[in-house]
Amino acid sequence: MDLELSETQQAVVDGLSGDFTDAFIEVYQSSGDTFIRVESEAIVDICRYLKDEHHFIYLSDVFGIDRFTSRERFEVVYNIISLRAREHLFIKVRLPEENPVVESITGVWKSANWMEREVYDMFGVEFTNHPDFRRIFMPEDFDYFPLRKEFPLLGIPGSIDLPSTTPDPE
Amino acid sequence: MGIESALGDGYFTTQIDSLTNWARSNAAWPMPMGLACCAIEMMAFAGPKYDAARFGSEVMRFSPRQSDVMIVAGWVNYKMAHAIRRIWDQMPDPKWCIAMGACASTGGMHRCYGVVQGCDNFLPVDAYVSGCPPRPDALLHALMKIQDKIRTEHSVMLDT
Amino acid sequence: MLSNYLPIVILGVIAIVLALLLMTLSKVLGPSRPNKTKLQPYESGMDPVGEARDRYSISFYLVAMEFIVFDLEVVFVFPWAVRYLDYGVGTLVAMTIFIITLFIGLIYTVKVGTLNWDMKKGMFN
Repeated sequence: MDLELSETQQAVVDGLSGDFTDAFIEVYQSSGDTFIRVESEAIVDICRYLKDEHHFIYLSDVFGIDRFTSRERFEVVYNIISLRAREHLFIKVRLPEENPVVESITGVWKSANWMEREVYDMFGVEFTNHPDFRRIFMPEDFDYFPLRKEFPLLGIPGSIDLPSTTPDPE
Repeated sequence: MGIESALGDGYFTTQIDSLTNWARSNAAWPMPMGLACCAIEMMAFAGPKYDAARFGSEVMRFSPRQSDVMIVAGWVNYKMAHAIRRIWDQMPDPKWCIAMGACASTGGMHRCYGVVQGCDNFLPVDAYVSGCPPRPDALLHALMKIQDKIRTEHSVMLDT
Repeated sequence: MLSNYLPIVILGVIAIVLALLLMTLSKVLGPSRPNKTKLQPYESGMDPVGEARDRYSISFYLVAMEFIVFDLEVVFVFPWAVRYLDYGVGTLVAMTIFIITLFIGLIYTVKVGTLNWDMKKGMFN
């Protein structure tokens, strides 16, 4: 498989192979985008390295994927952008279903705060050391994670309550 | 009050009814609950070309205390439903409701867990407007239907 | 001469009667269905946060006070001003002294800085 990496992306791959050989799993390209898969334990160090050394100062998005496989069910993808080189890069980690825990990268990019809350709300992925770890869209006492594949499209009846159809009597 | 026993079902009541219904129908101030894209068409409905003011909906009162008709324009999330119900409860009687657009009437294109499938699940809707978004003249038609409803179906006897 | 005031009296009577009539009609003909939610203060459908009463600038009070003083001055000047030609020089002198006295007061307030909205610059600051 031929990879057409730009200068910055090649520098990132070389840097990761050099400094983070254990954590760096693979790199592939799809539809013109470059994806780098790493181990979930090293994600904070890798992100800090990318931000400091390769000037990926802009975290564009953090989103989750439910692969619905029996092993390593969830993926968390970080979309980072280097404004200087005008490049973007996708960093992926895979998490098991029984214990989907990854460390929060809010220490590296502050904007990850709400994005990781969204991933938690929709998939149930836990982020350790998160400054404000709670649901962001669904109500606080919602019992399910809506974007998991087993959650039905129309929701579970009774899981979220509607207001009453009569006004409260005085 | 003791007025209903004094009025009864006679000529006097119907005359008062026609007067108050005429007054109420020609001054139906809307409370615009503009939640999504239908709100733009509601703005057009209030704008100069499709003028709502000539039907008596002179001002869009954004306070529930000063309005008669609530126009739910846009899809309703479950969280927002509580706020809308509370605002509806805070509107003084008599009040009417228009569900504008497909999303407010039935959930529209958002057939999913987060959107209430029709605001009539928690509000007593009087007129539904179909469209995505409905043309401003469709909303005017709904307003005229509300006016007809006030004139023909409302009575002072209900209010006492 | 009292009959000159008749239109004003009629206007006053109509105003009072109309106000009372409208209030009575809406009390008699209007519905009254209070419930707990309806009586809550309106805060866009959410639970009310914080107190309704807030601190506000003292400049409002100062401007109101100034307005009262100079409005009453105008009230005194108007009856003289409409017929000043009939009244003679003595009243002109009296009026001039009156206006000059209040004008000196105005210069004082402007210099002290009460009419500056944020009360920063003035004689005593």
